[in-house]
Amino acid sequence: MASDVVIETRALSKTYRDFWGRAKVRALKSLDLEIRQGEIFGLLGPNGSGKTTTMKLLLGLLFPTSGQALVFGRDASDVRKNERIGYLPEETYLYKFLTAEETLDFYGRLFDIPPQTRKERIDQLISEVGLDWARRRQLKEYSKGMTRRIGIAQARINDPDLILLDELNSGLDPIGVREMKDMILALKEAGKTVVMCSHLLADVQDICDRIAILHQGELKELGRVESLLRVADETQFRVRGMSQACQDEVQAVIARHEHELVEMTNPVSTLEDLFLSIVRDSEARPGRRARVETAEQSESVN
Amino acid sequence: MVIETDILNFWDWLAVGSDERAPALLQFVVTIVVLALVGLLFGFLIAAVRHGPIAAGDLVYRVLRRAAGELFRISPRRVWALARLSVKESLRKSVLASLIVFGVLLVFAPWFLGSESREPVKLYLSFVMTASMYLTLLIALLLSTFSLPADIKSKTIYTVVTKPVGAHEIVLGRILGFTIIGTVLLAIMGAGGYVFVIRSLRHTHTIAVADLAEAKASGVQRGLSSRDMGHRHEATVDKDGHVDVQSAIGHWHDVAGEPENGAYVTSSPADMYRARVPIYGKLRFKDRNGADKDRGVSVGNEWGYRSYIDGGTSATAIWTFDSLREEEYPDGLPLELSLRVFRTYKGDIERGILGSLVVVNPTTGLRSDIRTFRAQDFHIDEQTIPRKLPRRRQDMKPGLSEELDLFDDLVDEEGRVEIWIQCVEPAQYFGAAQADCYIRTRDGLFWVNYWKGLSGTWAQMVLIVCFGVMFSTFLSGPVALFATAGCFILGTFRDFIIKVATGGIEGGGPVEAMIRTFTQQNMTSELEAGGANALIETLDSPLKALMHGLVYVLPDFSSYSQVNWVAYGYNIPWNLIAQNLMAGFAYLLGAFIAGYLFLRSGEVAK
Ligand SMILES: Nc1ncnc2c1ncn2[C@@H]1O[C@H](COP(=O)(O)OP(=O)(O)OP(=O)(O)O)[C@@H](O)[C@H]1O
Ligand SMILES: [Mg+2]
Repeated sequence: MASDVVIETRALSKTYRDFWGRAKVRALKSLDLEIRQGEIFGLLGPNGSGKTTTMKLLLGLLFPTSGQALVFGRDASDVRKNERIGYLPEETYLYKFLTAEETLDFYGRLFDIPPQTRKERIDQLISEVGLDWARRRQLKEYSKGMTRRIGIAQARINDPDLILLDELNSGLDPIGVREMKDMILALKEAGKTVVMCSHLLADVQDICDRIAILHQGELKELGRVESLLRVADETQFRVRGMSQACQDEVQAVIARHEHELVEMTNPVSTLEDLFLSIVRDSEARPGRRARVETAEQSESVN
Repeated sequence: MVIETDILNFWDWLAVGSDERAPALLQFVVTIVVLALVGLLFGFLIAAVRHGPIAAGDLVYRVLRRAAGELFRISPRRVWALARLSVKESLRKSVLASLIVFGVLLVFAPWFLGSESREPVKLYLSFVMTASMYLTLLIALLLSTFSLPADIKSKTIYTVVTKPVGAHEIVLGRILGFTIIGTVLLAIMGAGGYVFVIRSLRHTHTIAVADLAEAKASGVQRGLSSRDMGHRHEATVDKDGHVDVQSAIGHWHDVAGEPENGAYVTSSPADMYRARVPIYGKLRFKDRNGADKDRGVSVGNEWGYRSYIDGGTSATAIWTFDSLREEEYPDGLPLELSLRVFRTYKGDIERGILGSLVVVNPTTGLRSDIRTFRAQDFHIDEQTIPRKLPRRRQDMKPGLSEELDLFDDLVDEEGRVEIWIQCVEPAQYFGAAQADCYIRTRDGLFWVNYWKGLSGTWAQMVLIVCFGVMFSTFLSGPVALFATAGCFILGTFRDFIIKVATGGIEGGGPVEAMIRTFTQQNMTSELEAGGANALIETLDSPLKALMHGLVYVLPDFSSYSQVNWVAYGYNIPWNLIAQNLMAGFAYLLGAFIAGYLFLRSGEVAK
């Protein structure tokens, strides 16, 4: 169904030029994309591969050198499409002299949101991004991650149907990253479309439905995450409390079938899990100091 | 001396125009069209350099097509949000510091203004009003030209233009925001300046009883007041002890009550701040032989508007006033003269040049006797024509004369009367313009006039903001600043430039000569082109129109400055204010459209 298509690019190309019109960088080469409603779409690629350029073209911040970008069926340079879009730029470009509240209020007004609704949404978003305690402070006093959070709130002020997140997780702590993952999934639940680019491949893998990989402005890979990542010729077990005898036996079975055993180890928990459990613990029992394990200390205790 | 050009009434100004200027409405339309064209042309050129002419044409076409729909979609809430943002930004840049500068200026002003001036009111008022004007304009210039470029540089503009905000709303919001800041600054400076002038010039005198001298036999005592603020007043005390203080340097004082410690103490100055409401007549001239002519002799140091009559000859300046009614002037005509004086030899500067004034009935030709006065440059001479005027007929004995009644004998059936003025001293000249002789009716309120005067500054401030914001949509901050300041300077001399360009200046200065040579060359080269002639002409004429248009569309900044009106004590007609505001609005519209086109035809992320 055509109305499902939220973003469509046709042979979208962008060549950056200097002032005199001499071509400098071919940042995007003939990109064809179609992103549908309700998808979480990941744009991946090394630095300088054209991810940000693509987003700017979709938003009409840049004009394509050739080709076309359509958002909600409108040309990217049409302002009216912005009604339903939320955008978080690569770095958070906000007015430093406004407070968190004023920032959201300002952007809310730009969407012509009536006062009552605006106030409710501001309260809701500020607490969602966890900045209740700093809502009356000017952004120039904010840390990078805090600014990022208010940037995200800003991108959602209009309850957008399509949200474009450029390097969503940059500057965020692991809790933030986690919360953002949850937020994105919640957005998907609500039927919104999310386009994000990120270098944290694990996160992309966890939440994206489809990804596109760009390299030097060219589309190298496009498809559903599961099918792209499934390794069809390997099989993985996870067993709790497996005895040495059992392990030997399994190895023997594999050897008998003349399969190659690639790896059999105990899994290591991720640092993310450790970090999250420590922070949750300290939130539950505030004031407790961490137990520092140093050789010196263990001696004195003994 | 204040009003150098005719002030048309509002509708004539707007829709009809005069010999000297086209109707304002036409000028506005041209302004808006030219600004819009410049916007488009600029967008086209930039795009053409970068992407080639075809892509550029396509871009301009799309921008135009979209403009029709977008320009009318203005959301007050969005514009207001952007305006508030600009206000907050300005406050953060601590523009209020300019108030401190103004305050410091006022504190030190008495040092360099002094208190001994012969015309302190004029001096203080022009100082205060000029200072607040330049400060406000400077702030408006800095704020409006640096704001948008800073947004583009810091990329905060990304988060704004990706909202459903039109480029026109961004322009409008900024104009509104900076106008609010400018208005508040101007209002505070205006109020501060007002209080400063009134307080600085408030003074009293004492009149020592011991210094009073008995005039012969009349029982009236005369004397001089103490010297305060550099001047004294003559005072008389009659038999009943009633004190009368004569007017000096444009004001007088009351004295109530008995002398204390051997001296009378006067009240604060009265009638010091004025807003004269003049009624003008029509001016014509007679030459040195007494023959009718349009203009006097031009001495070449004034614009054609003011003409000179030579002294000691029959050269006369004649003002005809009409619709005079006895009920309105039961005590005679309160006439005021502010002739320019041109001396071919210096003479006694202090005394002024002797002139004569005769009241003439335009229908019967009946003339009053000559009244004399002394005219000084830049000085307003009050000449009330009394109800009863003497006339000596040829057949009368010396020392005898008959008495004429102003309204019965000298004002004709239609209420017209003529005032004939001649310069008596040979080889000296009077300069006369329509506005130099007028009947002064009841004064307007001074404080109202003061604020009316500041409204001219306000209009200038709005224009600066409009131009500043418009230029900042496509120029970097400093360049936009220079462009705006350039417009202000060119606009201040706009009339002069247009006159030079259209050959309207008599005699011709070097500039005109240069322009003439320049255009002449253009013409010949066009003719020589032969076959391609037609093509060149078609290409050239819109360009030429554009060039002329560019000067034409600049606002006439000088006409907004009404400081002189207030300082010299003339009431500013509402009509003039309406004209200024209307013109300001037209430029607002032009800057708004051009700013939109500039912003829209370039990429936001470069
Ligand atoms: N304003 C610009 N002028 C010239 N070249 C530019 C400009 N912006 C980006 N580029 C170039 O375009 C290419 C793509 O840049 P882009 O910002 O889209 O990369 P990206 O994929 O977002 O990279 P990153 O992961 O570092 O954010 C790069 O080679 C970059 O140098
Ligand atoms: Mg990027």
